[in-house]
Amino acid sequence: MKRGKYLFFAVIVGFFLISGGSCGKKEKQLTICFSFQDLETEFWVGAHKAITEELKARGVRVIERNSSQDANRQLEQVRDAIAQQVDGIIIIPQDGQSANTIIGEANRAGIPIAVFNRPPADSSRNAIVVLADNKLIAEKAVDYMVEKAAASGRRYRPCIIVGDLGDPNSIARRDGFYAALAKRPQLFKPVVEVPSKWDAGTTLANFEAAIQANPDIDFVFTSSDFLYPQLRSVLEPLGKWTSDADPRHVILGGVDGDSFACRMMRERIIDATGVQDLFFEARSLMDELLRAIDNGEKQPKKWIVDPGFTLTLDNYAERAVDMWGCVLLHRGLISR
Amino acid sequence: MNDFSATTSLMHGIQQLLRRNFVLTLTVGYFIVMSALLPAFASSRNLANLSSNFWPLLSLVIGQLLVMIVGGIDLSQSSIMALASVCGASLMCQSADPVVFAKAPLWNIVFSEQGGFLAGSVFAVSAAVAVMLTVGILVGFFNGFAVAYLKMPPFIVTLVSMMFFSGAAIYLTASENITHLPTSFTAIAQKRVLLPIPVWIVAASAIVVHIILQHTAFGKKLYAVGLNAKAALISGINVPMVTLTAFTLSGFFAALGSVIYSARLEGGRPTLGQDLLLDVIGAAVIGGISLFGGRGRVRDACAGALFFTLLANSLNLMNLSFFIVNIVKGGVILLAAAVDAWRVGKSGGMSKR
Repeated sequence: MKRGKYLFFAVIVGFFLISGGSCGKKEKQLTICFSFQDLETEFWVGAHKAITEELKARGVRVIERNSSQDANRQLEQVRDAIAQQVDGIIIIPQDGQSANTIIGEANRAGIPIAVFNRPPADSSRNAIVVLADNKLIAEKAVDYMVEKAAASGRRYRPCIIVGDLGDPNSIARRDGFYAALAKRPQLFKPVVEVPSKWDAGTTLANFEAAIQANPDIDFVFTSSDFLYPQLRSVLEPLGKWTSDADPRHVILGGVDGDSFACRMMRERIIDATGVQDLFFEARSLMDELLRAIDNGEKQPKKWIVDPGFTLTLDNYAERAVDMWGCVLLHRGLISR
Repeated sequence: MNDFSATTSLMHGIQQLLRRNFVLTLTVGYFIVMSALLPAFASSRNLANLSSNFWPLLSLVIGQLLVMIVGGIDLSQSSIMALASVCGASLMCQSADPVVFAKAPLWNIVFSEQGGFLAGSVFAVSAAVAVMLTVGILVGFFNGFAVAYLKMPPFIVTLVSMMFFSGAAIYLTASENITHLPTSFTAIAQKRVLLPIPVWIVAASAIVVHIILQHTAFGKKLYAVGLNAKAALISGINVPMVTLTAFTLSGFFAALGSVIYSARLEGGRPTLGQDLLLDVIGAAVIGGISLFGGRGRVRDACAGALFFTLLANSLNLMNLSFFIVNIVKGGVILLAAAVDAWRVGKSGGMSKR
């Protein structure tokens, strides 16, 4: 019995008295930990594919970590990767706040870190951050929708599907939406805001309720294209999921540029989408991170902004080839 | 003859050691094997990671231990963590974004753009931590009251509590994380006083619970209730009060875990701990704490939490995919439970304590 106690205390005490340095030798091949929040939406699937393929093409060993939307798990996974002495870290954080915590861990360990598409809540942190100009991208897409509304000569009831307000991207897209509407306020009745929390089920329930309460909604902007199937589920039975030639057509727009938006624009059901240049973002992130590793920079700091572009029904024929969703669709990488 | 006797004695000693400390022996063996296989596993940085992951988990497992000893289960620990996290953070945060929180029910009541109700006070952190622990105690008391006095099944009571209080945490903050917490709070998870602060907090709590269980009349009552509640009642034990206390303490330890996890993540999170329940119950089962009540020690909780932490960490270091990690974790919990049940059965039920 006593031996058991000694063993127990030896394990517990020995375990935690050790601290300080590190051991192990670095391999010659670069190793990068890529930690992402999940692969639930097409944008994240596309981003995952773009980043991992780009890294492997450059001969980098990739350690992938899926945190399944758990900030605590993501922190533990990144710490474990740091213990493996990786050369660099790429994260798609759960939110801006957890990005701060993880960047702090990497900074303390002296490992360069890059944050993809979701900025840290504190912009003073030392990290390479690649993100889209969400406000501008959203505003330009809504500008087109507003012009389309103006051409019809009637007043519209606008609706915005808002993302997670804890996500800076979501706030920027909402700001872009309102900035565009403010240019022609006389065209619009009061806005209906539908919270989505970036969740398909929440969006469906809340958008259904919004349509019940405001059946005159005829101008809808979604903060992310991945929520279009939920909009279709509500609008289609009402006969409002129609092409722009139909008088019942609801003016539709969004942000991201996924394959669903690509297909629906081809059918002229969606009017505009603000496109993030996924491939530019992935390539820029990789270039900057690998450059920092080569130069021995332990806490590189740089923000790279993707200006994006707007795909509309007017420029679809020329610009669709530049939209990542159309590209993935064309390559057969996304299910039709 | 003397040699034979000594060998027999040694073998008997090893058998006793394995029987009484099976999980701990397994943990030590696993650690040695993994250290040989994975170069980073025994590095000081990784040991620090293991420590950081182990202590808050242990706090939750100790709470679960107390409830399981009386034959119950507490599924609401994750919701207690979430509720305590947002309550404490909303009181002590130093600022908050009105764009994000304008629709939160607590906005302009408990916290505003200038921060929480206690922001700026020298007592902000201590008072907020006290509130967090009180939240845990209250929810635990609610669970215990429903189980002990309303005679409701612990599974249903704590399942409903989990749903209700998780929903409450999300409702109170409109599902947003509360950030900008005082550095003196985040220091709980990040600073050291010789050892990391969570080590002192949880180790001290574990020692107190160990003393209560092994050396007090109340500890004996807990085991008696778990072994046979009717017999305990006939023996004059206030069974409802003992059960109520066990659930209340479980709430306290869940809140204590919440303090450490919130400090570690530098924010109050309404979804904190959503995926932790399997880890807590898994660690308890691996440790050999009986799901049928009446058996379990703090040492078992420590061994279970330690093995589970080592397992999760080693799977990460093996660079397995998320899905494989979950499959392996589930398989190991099942295997450990089966082996432990077989071992206990073979030894004729062995000591209940």
